[in-house]
Amino acid sequence: MAKKQEAYYELAGRIYDLDEAVYKCVGSSLGRTYTGDRETCIEDITRLLITKPRMQECRSQIALIGNMARTIRNKEDRKRMMTEYNEILQEIKKIPTTFGSVDILNENMAALNTSNLRQKFSPDDHLVICIGRNHGSAGSDIGFALADKLKIDYYDAEIFQKVIERMNAEKENVEDDNSNFIETAKRASQPRKKKTKFTEYLKNFRRYHGLPVQDAIFFHQSELIKEMAKKEDFVVMGRCADVILTNKRIPHISIFITAPFEQRVERMMEALKMDYKHAVRFLKRLDHKHEAYYKFYTERQWGNAVNYDLCINSASYGIEETVDLIVRMIDQYPNHKKLAED
Amino acid sequence: MNDIVTLLSSPVVRCIPFAGLLLCVAVMPLVKAEWWEEHQPIVVAFWSLLFIIPYVITMGGAETTEVVLECLVNDYLTFIVLLFGLFCVAGNITLDGNLAGSPAVNTMFLAIGTLLSSVIGTTGASMLMVRPMIKMNSWRKRKSQIMIFFIFMISNLGGSLTPIGDPPLLMGFMRGVPFFWSLRLFPILVFNMIVLLIVFYNIDKRKYRRDIARGRHPDISEPGITLKIKGLHNIIFIAMIVGAVILSGTLPSLPAFQDASGKVLGLRIFGDVVLGYPSLIEIAIILLAAYLSFKTTDARIRTGNHFTWGAIREVAVLFVGIFVTMQPALMLLKSMGPELGITEPYQMFWSTGMLSSFLDNTPTYLVFLTTAGTLGYSSGIATSVGIVTAKVLTAISCGAVFMGANTYIGNAPNFMVKSISDENGIRMPSFFGYMAWSFGILVPVFLLDTLVFFR
Repeated sequence: MAKKQEAYYELAGRIYDLDEAVYKCVGSSLGRTYTGDRETCIEDITRLLITKPRMQECRSQIALIGNMARTIRNKEDRKRMMTEYNEILQEIKKIPTTFGSVDILNENMAALNTSNLRQKFSPDDHLVICIGRNHGSAGSDIGFALADKLKIDYYDAEIFQKVIERMNAEKENVEDDNSNFIETAKRASQPRKKKTKFTEYLKNFRRYHGLPVQDAIFFHQSELIKEMAKKEDFVVMGRCADVILTNKRIPHISIFITAPFEQRVERMMEALKMDYKHAVRFLKRLDHKHEAYYKFYTERQWGNAVNYDLCINSASYGIEETVDLIVRMIDQYPNHKKLAED
Repeated sequence: MNDIVTLLSSPVVRCIPFAGLLLCVAVMPLVKAEWWEEHQPIVVAFWSLLFIIPYVITMGGAETTEVVLECLVNDYLTFIVLLFGLFCVAGNITLDGNLAGSPAVNTMFLAIGTLLSSVIGTTGASMLMVRPMIKMNSWRKRKSQIMIFFIFMISNLGGSLTPIGDPPLLMGFMRGVPFFWSLRLFPILVFNMIVLLIVFYNIDKRKYRRDIARGRHPDISEPGITLKIKGLHNIIFIAMIVGAVILSGTLPSLPAFQDASGKVLGLRIFGDVVLGYPSLIEIAIILLAAYLSFKTTDARIRTGNHFTWGAIREVAVLFVGIFVTMQPALMLLKSMGPELGITEPYQMFWSTGMLSSFLDNTPTYLVFLTTAGTLGYSSGIATSVGIVTAKVLTAISCGAVFMGANTYIGNAPNFMVKSISDENGIRMPSFFGYMAWSFGILVPVFLLDTLVFFR
């Protein structure tokens, strides 16, 4: 099975390379068949090659490369590309249409099993821990304590600040959808912003390439998290960092911290000096907002256990014990130099 | 022998080559794509001959030649030259920039393009906007819906406001419908635009979210939009082509271009087949515009635009067959049209529309306009084929223009947009796949139109 997968992966690589080469030969600036990064595209193609019912989709994509290859002006280049194209088609024809056993479709998901953590990171990878949390579950405190214990950086609103600098935007004009509840409560108590004027809308349109402001922030945030993950070890709170890094094929550990609703309400009442009714309403609103945000940018369900390496009910352990639990789990993989040093 | 001749003269048998060709266009790319790519001319020739040979046997060589030449010279030639001219000129204009294709931007672009279609024609607007649209969305993976709505709106619906917009309306103008009369269709167009843009925005947003969720992002590293149009001087040549189309509609009514009997003067090709001087002037101006556009534009712009002859070649080959084999169906329509008992606006809308989805919408429009002209209305718009009420004319115009969007072959730019998209990494649906989109989205909108405007 592994050999077969390797062969598919290699074939997918050839398809991607052909697309790239054809596009270069054509000299077009209109875009090509596979526009994502190499690894993501190859993985997508491999998946299509493996899943037989969607084989037709793979053939159609390759046909698009063929369409473009036929328009190459230089005869030699065209011949070269078409030869490779035909060879790839022949290879695809050889792929059997049925399997005796079922393939593992999502190897990445399988690799996320904690017992596999030791294979997940190479010594060159940085330790990136993405923590999602229900508000009031002490997730931010746990994240901070964990970063402190591991002696690595902790990022929450700081990422948003960096994004703002990167975008050359004014902070008062954009909202951090991922801020913690204290920040959100502070903002809620401030007078409501006036409706966006048309001139401001135009200004934003120009500034953010015609994208909605929140999307532009998300894209910058994604780039920033990716860049950081290649350079340093850190704990990052929320911001869909787990999915962003999964999409970028960057190893990380994803954790979701939650707690029973009533206990979260209690914590909220104490932290924000709110009465019970207001705290319930505020918490529900926050949960809904974050759920919607996560769903919008990842198409995944926020807090659904299958999306994380580890889900913890912080009310069962408390802050310190939760941190210890996470550290014990991370300790399982000896590859990482940071832990090796410790 | 007589039985064979009777059989070959049967209208149904004569329509078989047209149906066969359509079936090939629909099915061959799915079952034998490679073979189809290479052998399209042979398939087209086969079906054309399957119409021509029986026609020669039943009607004689002279009449067959006349029928075929009439459609090639007076319908196909002007059609393909216009398409060719706009294809060449638009290929020399490029929009360089970093505007990201988001649902809002795409919706805005579609709205602008739809309105532009009435100014420079559906073909002109399609050719001008198709590449920027593809480029803006090059970062995305799920984008075929954008090009499908592009065909719906820019390549079809948008052409309803002026005779320049779509050839059937130009034909109406030549038959006496006032030039600005079609502006009365504005509320219907706006209604359709609003409904379709809302549907589009929601579909595109779903696909856009899926792209983002899979980690696709546009390149927005540089702050602010930089937009630069290269080859902008080609707008002059587009204006030249639009002018040529207007001339082809206005010159035939001038006495200088008519003989004593009122027929349009021109080059006699064969029998009664005459290529009118106005058409010749139109063709000459369009070809000159295309030539000047190529001469005055840096070749690098065409390279950047991925300008190839593939799309126009495919359309030229397929449509020559479609035009030839469609003749029996058009003849049948012309003879049967007045007998169909169609009198109500909604009937006119749907009959003109459904036939325009598969046949050339210009003769279809003309058949139903003529039918309406014979209904004996006492008030309305006075045309050369009789008086037609505004509501009926609106229904015929909307049917002919709007429902060209129902299939890839319903209107000239549809197939061009599909071919250009196919060449640039966008996986467009098959013939039937496209029809599933059009019947799923457009037909309900047209039903709404019927309830609101044509009851």
